[in-house]
Amino acid sequence: MADDKDVLRDVWFGRIPTCFTLYQDEITEREAEPFYLLLPRVSFLTLVTDKVKKHFLKVMKAEDVEEMWFDFEGTPLKWHYPIGLLFDLHASNTALPWSITVHFKNFPERDLLHCPSNSVIEAHFMSSIKEADALKHKSQVINDMQKKDHKQLWMGLQNDKFDQFWAMNRKLMEYPTEEGGFRYIPFRIYLTMSDRPFIQKLFRPISSDGYTHTLGDLLKEVYPVAISRDDESKRYQVVIHGIEPLLETPLQWLSEHLSHPDNFLHISVIPVPSD
Amino acid sequence: MSDNAESPTETQKDEPSTPQQPTEDLGTADEKKKIDVLLKAVGDTPIMKTKKWSVEKGRTVQSLSQFISRFLKMEANEQLFIYVNQSFSPSPDQEVGVLFECFGSDGKLVLHYCKSQAWG
Repeated sequence: MADDKDVLRDVWFGRIPTCFTLYQDEITEREAEPFYLLLPRVSFLTLVTDKVKKHFLKVMKAEDVEEMWFDFEGTPLKWHYPIGLLFDLHASNTALPWSITVHFKNFPERDLLHCPSNSVIEAHFMSSIKEADALKHKSQVINDMQKKDHKQLWMGLQNDKFDQFWAMNRKLMEYPTEEGGFRYIPFRIYLTMSDRPFIQKLFRPISSDGYTHTLGDLLKEVYPVAISRDDESKRYQVVIHGIEPLLETPLQWLSEHLSHPDNFLHISVIPVPSD
Repeated sequence: MSDNAESPTETQKDEPSTPQQPTEDLGTADEKKKIDVLLKAVGDTPIMKTKKWSVEKGRTVQSLSQFISRFLKMEANEQLFIYVNQSFSPSPDQEVGVLFECFGSDGKLVLHYCKSQAWG
């Protein structure tokens, strides 16, 4: 049986084989070959695609190049969402490699945030961690850390250093023994067909009478549609890091082991594919 | 990411002189669709004359930020930082309704705003 710590490594080192193709209307000096890359599930598109940019810039003139952005089957991909989430949400049941289209023009202002530099990614990442700790520990743990500790979390992610990251992150995963878990669980539930971006609410991992809440309990409370009744066939898949955890899994355990580096559980609810 | 609303659609409320229940809503605010936001200035950032606003749940942080910038007649190149709980800066596309649900207290969401980075 896998050790719990092995789960942390499996999550961190998850990769998605991706094929980047230049958008057909981009102006090139010669034909652009597709570029293949293994993307880390837990990172962000703009942090790990310098090679992609370099590759396509070789066949383009500087004046034809603006901020790079990506789409999958026409849907602009939000760089500020973790890569694994984007894949699970949009491309779960499609063939690998994940086919992403690369653009250098006509940035979709209404759909995407700009990402002029890595410091923007860092700021976003750190804000997410702070928000998560506000929910877990009333910000006490993150506030007790020094600036260099915060930097270590970011550097760990940026440089794909599991040990460096977790040396700090483990503090964010602790809780007073008598509490039994975090104050509230940082989670976001993403739906493929919805007008709102995601569901995020206050939800305790342990009830006031000591009952351990499960993933199923969370869904029943905030998105009961995701759980099919016994008498009907399954309509939705509840996916975290590309897998469907059992609904009986304790939410506290999921938060400690299947959160993204930003300390949030990013959960995709997608329709079961019709064959 | 740009936002649809050009001008504030939220209902303006006068700040009470003593801490108490907010005054009556002037507009046709559906209780379920709007939330109360209290804006607090940080440091020497100008203080808004009206601090209490009734904002639609689906309004984004960016939209609110643009509104505050216009209200304070800030320059185009000036940045505005918004903070929740005096600890984190929400993503520009975050909906205020979600922030209210998770971080609201006493029936309102307190947001701090600053022209420079206050809490990193």
